[in-house]
Amino acid sequence: MVRYNVFIAGVGGQGLLTIGRILGSAAIEAGQDVTVAEVHGLSQRGGTLNVQVRIGRGEAPLIPRGGADLYIAMEALEAVRYSEYIGLNTNVVINKFIWPPPLSKYPSLEHIMSKFNEKNIKVYLVDANDISKRIIGTIISANIAIIGYSYAIDPGLQKLIDYRHLEKSLELIFRGKTLELNKKILKISYEEGLRTIGEL
Amino acid sequence: MIETTSVFRGLIVLIEKPILAPKNTKVLLMGNEAIARGALEAGICFAAQYPGTPSTEIMETLVEVAKDVGIHVEWSVNEKVAFEAAYAAAIAGVKSLTAMKHVGLNVASDILMSSAYSGVNAGFVIVTADDPNQHSSQNEQDNRWYGLLAHLPVVEPSSPRDAYRLIKEAYSLSEKYMTPVIFRTTTRISHTRQLIEYDCDIPLVKKCKGVFERNIERWVLVPAHGRKQKQRMMSIWHSIIENEGVEPFIKIENPGMRKVIFAPGISYVYVDEVLDLMNLRNEYTVVKINLTVPLPYKPIADVLKEAERAIVVEELDPVVEMQIKKIAYDNGFNVEIYGKNIVPENGELNTEIVYSVISRFEGKVNSPLWRSIGLLKTEPSIPPRPPVLCAGCPHRNTFYILKVSANKAGLKNTVYTGDIGCYTLGYQKPFETQMTSFEMGGGIGIAYGLSHVIDEPVIGVVGDSTFFHACIPQSINIIYNKGRAIVVVLDNYYTSMTGHQPHPGTGLSATGEDAPRILVEKILDSIGFKTYVINPMNVRESIETVYKAFKEYQEGKPVAIVSRLKCALQALRDARRKNIKLPVYNILEDKCRGCMACINLLGCPAIYLPPEGVKPVILEDICVGCGLCAYVCPFKAIVVKQEGSPNWIEAWM
Repeated sequence: MVRYNVFIAGVGGQGLLTIGRILGSAAIEAGQDVTVAEVHGLSQRGGTLNVQVRIGRGEAPLIPRGGADLYIAMEALEAVRYSEYIGLNTNVVINKFIWPPPLSKYPSLEHIMSKFNEKNIKVYLVDANDISKRIIGTIISANIAIIGYSYAIDPGLQKLIDYRHLEKSLELIFRGKTLELNKKILKISYEEGLRTIGEL
Repeated sequence: MIETTSVFRGLIVLIEKPILAPKNTKVLLMGNEAIARGALEAGICFAAQYPGTPSTEIMETLVEVAKDVGIHVEWSVNEKVAFEAAYAAAIAGVKSLTAMKHVGLNVASDILMSSAYSGVNAGFVIVTADDPNQHSSQNEQDNRWYGLLAHLPVVEPSSPRDAYRLIKEAYSLSEKYMTPVIFRTTTRISHTRQLIEYDCDIPLVKKCKGVFERNIERWVLVPAHGRKQKQRMMSIWHSIIENEGVEPFIKIENPGMRKVIFAPGISYVYVDEVLDLMNLRNEYTVVKINLTVPLPYKPIADVLKEAERAIVVEELDPVVEMQIKKIAYDNGFNVEIYGKNIVPENGELNTEIVYSVISRFEGKVNSPLWRSIGLLKTEPSIPPRPPVLCAGCPHRNTFYILKVSANKAGLKNTVYTGDIGCYTLGYQKPFETQMTSFEMGGGIGIAYGLSHVIDEPVIGVVGDSTFFHACIPQSINIIYNKGRAIVVVLDNYYTSMTGHQPHPGTGLSATGEDAPRILVEKILDSIGFKTYVINPMNVRESIETVYKAFKEYQEGKPVAIVSRLKCALQALRDARRKNIKLPVYNILEDKCRGCMACINLLGCPAIYLPPEGVKPVILEDICVGCGLCAYVCPFKAIVVKQEGSPNWIEAWM
């Protein structure tokens, strides 16, 4: 069986490790084998970061370039940095957020999106920060929002994991009120994703 | 409902501490957590570590459950201390663990060598977490060489699941031969999560009290005793080579083929995937090697005897390759052995690299299996994003204060030596206050040496945990041998880079209990430095103090500075926990003249210039209200937008 590869790009501090853990636990809940490759330490300090989730039999933790089935970027510049991991059939989800490194020159979001669109692949832009902000007042749960949205637009992931498995893995990580709010964010972002592809 | 169709189906048990869950529980564990759980199952009662990526979570996991399972755990002052403590437990008959990052073993290498000579009286495993590709390290040294150097066995898992299983085997091996065992992981095992199913419970009864056997010949390594212990050690070494070439350490898949792949450690999982993808599984004998040093010769010789061509697919150095080639030579086998001639010697392996290596070994054109859209080109191109000091990081304030004060005092062309920590990031613009960073302690040692041979002023800037770890002898040396370097210690209360572990200056133990607080300034004072303590959030006052210290330095006096303020990440966490609101700043557009002083002097990730913009903006979600930008703004354009709670400063203290 070929493994299902989810590549997650972003900036240290955006909650990428949590995305990896949630997808990993959900895969286990769904009866799949899984590996989640993380990077810790100095990379957390506002540096570029990626997490690689591979679902299905096998133990190799790293995704080949072009091998991502689903590509999630929590930040638009980082979406470009790891674009080699995107293949011709990859679903790409990008958070509508540019967080430039200090003292740097960088392209605009419009320019970045035009470059993606030239490639004739499926690219979705979602304001995950805004979804989080609308519900809890801060951007801290933008990572949960991007999971809900990405799940909605990606039939491949839906084949492997049910929505309830995602909820179940939120229950493993969060407690009390935080759990309830994150479940709400997951739901709202999921529905936003469904609306994007015209299924709601 | 019991499912029989999939081995992995099953509920993840919903309990607060999955690491303590009973046998048969399935959990998603990071390699480091798997090692901790396995060691607990093996019955350890003593564990000591100094934090360092990628090893840190081993002790963090043990710390979480230490009280529940009744074992001693500690963050030791450095790796040498941690090693000695855990080794002492093992010579007294208490099973123990020490863990460290690869370069940490350099610090502990003296006792490592001796421990191999004297051996142990209970299981003792040294985990070395290597970092190929240098994700968070100064080098990518391959610590399997330490096994060959010290004559100690090296057990090396291929995956987190393997790590869970093999750490227990490592304890068995240690007790079988009464020798320390090195357990070597790499970042992609330490920091990869995988489904683990527990096959054992944590024992309720374990041995926690030891007995010191007064065996002078064994523990006192004077030359006469050392020679005898060397013979003891070498006989163990040869026994392992002779007897341990069996599962779980060496596993032969599909024996008898003319083509052989030797796959030590993590490279096995890449080989496994590639053989599937290339549909070549039936053509190869694969030797999965999890005891990489010393390599037991029998199974290797058996496989080589049948083979025409073989390849060692190995990450980093040819440690296994050299041993295999020796076995082939000793046995007179005429087999072609490939290795580092086609396998990269730098960085990590991955499925793509192993695919191209095996294609080459097969003599095939390496047609791409994955079709990438390629790296997108933008205009301007994507800027590099090295890690930066966080918004509100006290190091930013201290670096600013040091530079302004040096300028004011007329210290010209100051050389700032540096060390290992978040503050190493000060090497970048706009600060450039870290001009060296070699190893723990070098910040002061290098400052001292330079001060004897160059004319410029020298300031050694090191972190608090680093100071306790390895800077005290160097500080003493500055005074004793009349060096001319200033010592600056950045005290942010924690070993912050690795995740805020407590250290001797924190006032807390590993498990969160009150501990004696050892103050850096008292140590420096007693060595003979005139030591000044600043709070870098009080910028003006700190500049005055540091200026005074620099003036005294110019008069020939030995001075030191301790800059004390809590790590911003921890301050933010404490503020959330205590429901304290931190102030948030804002740039008034009408007052801002776009001089960019805030951006150019501070490089704070909370301040940015919008595309096409001419005036900077503060990202309010990122700002934690340190106020340094308001201090440097020449036009008073940066002001508090949202007041913090009246007691907000408490979060930082």
